[in-house]
Amino acid sequence: MSDSQTENSLAQESSLENPSPAGGGAIVATPPAGGRPRRRGVSWRERLEITVLSGPAIIVFIGFVILPVILAAYYGFFRWKGYGRPTDFVGLHNYVVILQDPEFRAALEHNLYILVLSLIIQGPIAILLALLLNRKMRGRSIIRVLIFVPWVVSEVIAGTGFSLMLSTQGAINDLLRNVGLGHFTADWLSDPNIALWALMGILTWKYIGFAVILFMAGMQNIPEELSEAAAIDGAGYWQIQRRITLPLLGPTIRIWAFLSIIGALQLFDLVYIIWGQYVAGTAGVSTMVTYMVQYGRNAGNYGYGSAVAVVVFFISLIVALGYQRFVLRRDTEGALTDGGKK
Amino acid sequence: MTRKFRAAALVALGASAALAMTACSGGSDNGGNGGSTNDTTKPVTMTLWTNATTGPGAKFFEDTAAAFTQAHPNVTIKIQTVQNEDLDGKLQTALQAGQGTAPDIFLQRGGGKMAAMVDAGQLMDISDSVSADTKASVGAGAFAAEQVEGKTYAMPVDVLPGGFWYSDTLFKKAGITTPPTTIDELNQAVTKLKAANITPIALGAKDAWPAAHWYYWFALRECSQDTLNSTAKTLKFDDECWTKAGNDLKTFADTKPFNNGFLNTSAQQGAGSSAGQVANHKAATELMGAWDPGQIAALTPDQKPLPDLKFTPFIQVPGGKGDPKAIMGGVDGYSCSAWAPKPACTDFLNYLTTKDVQVAYYKAFQAPPVNKDAQAAVTDPIIKATIDAFNQAPYVSQWLDTLYGQNVGNALNTAVVNLLAGKGSVDDIVKSVNNAADKG
Repeated sequence: MSDSQTENSLAQESSLENPSPAGGGAIVATPPAGGRPRRRGVSWRERLEITVLSGPAIIVFIGFVILPVILAAYYGFFRWKGYGRPTDFVGLHNYVVILQDPEFRAALEHNLYILVLSLIIQGPIAILLALLLNRKMRGRSIIRVLIFVPWVVSEVIAGTGFSLMLSTQGAINDLLRNVGLGHFTADWLSDPNIALWALMGILTWKYIGFAVILFMAGMQNIPEELSEAAAIDGAGYWQIQRRITLPLLGPTIRIWAFLSIIGALQLFDLVYIIWGQYVAGTAGVSTMVTYMVQYGRNAGNYGYGSAVAVVVFFISLIVALGYQRFVLRRDTEGALTDGGKK
Repeated sequence: MTRKFRAAALVALGASAALAMTACSGGSDNGGNGGSTNDTTKPVTMTLWTNATTGPGAKFFEDTAAAFTQAHPNVTIKIQTVQNEDLDGKLQTALQAGQGTAPDIFLQRGGGKMAAMVDAGQLMDISDSVSADTKASVGAGAFAAEQVEGKTYAMPVDVLPGGFWYSDTLFKKAGITTPPTTIDELNQAVTKLKAANITPIALGAKDAWPAAHWYYWFALRECSQDTLNSTAKTLKFDDECWTKAGNDLKTFADTKPFNNGFLNTSAQQGAGSSAGQVANHKAATELMGAWDPGQIAALTPDQKPLPDLKFTPFIQVPGGKGDPKAIMGGVDGYSCSAWAPKPACTDFLNYLTTKDVQVAYYKAFQAPPVNKDAQAAVTDPIIKATIDAFNQAPYVSQWLDTLYGQNVGNALNTAVVNLLAGKGSVDDIVKSVNNAADKG
């Protein structure tokens, strides 16, 4: 991945160095009054153009992405309340506390539950729905829309809605009572044994549409001829899906799983909206990021919170790199143009 | 060639970055006049940050600022309202930026946050600027809340003591003639209310602090005043009274006095919140600060004050080391930033505590004013009751999460919620408070 990127950028630079007669040639052909030699390659005007066009994006990227990451790493070494400059250097103390804190371990555990459960619940359901919606049938487009709508709704709206419906005196319990299923009413959000499953239900409802869309797009790319050939050879519907659709859908599934894993590790908004600032840990649905906000920002421990951010960053990085190395490798191999390795 | 191109791009990038930065720092030269000047004719402009964004509260500050300018023609005060939940974060950033960006006058919540501002040199020491009139009309108890190591850093404007806010109608319906004053009476009241099919106590545990208030109050009764204050320095719950307070709460919570699903009930948002349940006669009472009548009034069906709402102080706990009449509450104050123009800013703070302004404050915010003469002008019976409880108390403690700072407060609040949810033990409260010190 990184290899090919460097090579790409090298290739770009070399093309800048030798502008093609059709493109840059026209510009170089009229040198400024100063009489710069023609061989200087990139003209001032071109440099200016590149700087002006890329400058703002680079400044924003450095200012709002790179700089905060570096600052978080820096603040993570201090005991700092956010007032005045950080002065109380504590070395790795914050990291030691984080890794020993049972609350953080619980949060990490919840993240891992959510990660695994998302994959094993959403994956199969999404594949079945995509298969279903790929067939020609009545009302197909309306079902597609209905499945996709939750993904479009903002997390805040979905979260507020579910927290109202699932609360102890909420609509779901009322409904259950009124249809004679009063036995099944529960403290959906407050009972630590149920809350995580309620969250999984909401997450599935919210994000399944995205998986379905991805899988359907993947299925469109599978040539019709393959299933036709299989059908002629006597394969049944399920056999075709099992032997042809699924293996060819592999790259799409792996990319979806990657996005889902990253989403699970960084889950914050839904939990924060539904359970608020404090009780996520009590209800057993806290995540690493809600932990960071609760014990960092809300507790006024900006140094400690920054250290948590760094830990979350590294955990996500390790998982992402590991996944790329061991799972995504086979999809990217050969798919990327790399001129050098032939 | 490539290298040169890169160098040129870098220089250009650096130049535009520098440009962008100077653009950011320019244009913020108004505001504070750089510390003290005794010239009373030189024009002075001050900014004031408050959380009163709408209604009579916002109007109060506009009127007060205008009246002050009339008396001091050289002083202009710009009011900036900031949504309550955003105020602390914005304030922190602005104070961090210092002169020019920091507001000159702002709402001060006191406690650990104020101590942190003092440590960072962001607040003006106003001890010597408090006028004799102010000292005479405002009690020492209110000032104590605004002091760090004997120096005053904010001017108190109101006191918000806590206690039970209950519906008289529901109490009568359940056969409770006098509000409970002891733990036994409280237990009996809960039993009677349950028998009458009324939710005894609403609790907004989703916000954590309303649940934690129950623990604070038991601690106020179990712990001596000295223990409460010395803990503010050590931030360790070593004294056994902290465990006793936890046991009191555990025993009481085991009688299941709170509304169902209290863990997911918020304090003030909507009819399902704890204030909303009291407002709609779904629950008989809640333990809350003196802002509660206002919150409840906003959540009644007709958005008018609840006619049968009454106040009674927290119960007494036998055998505790705390005074049975001691009270807990918040004190709202206003601070001058370290960069504010000195006589103008402190003059305004003194002006805020004068009788007429305080009466206007009470009318705008429906909160007990801090000026004793203005307190005499209070006609509302429940606010009068809170003022009486406040004035009869031998000492007043701040809310413990304010007193012990954000970090310990946060851990304490969470631990109490865990206890009520059956997830943690009494020892866990003590443990998590002691552990919180590791985090900040």
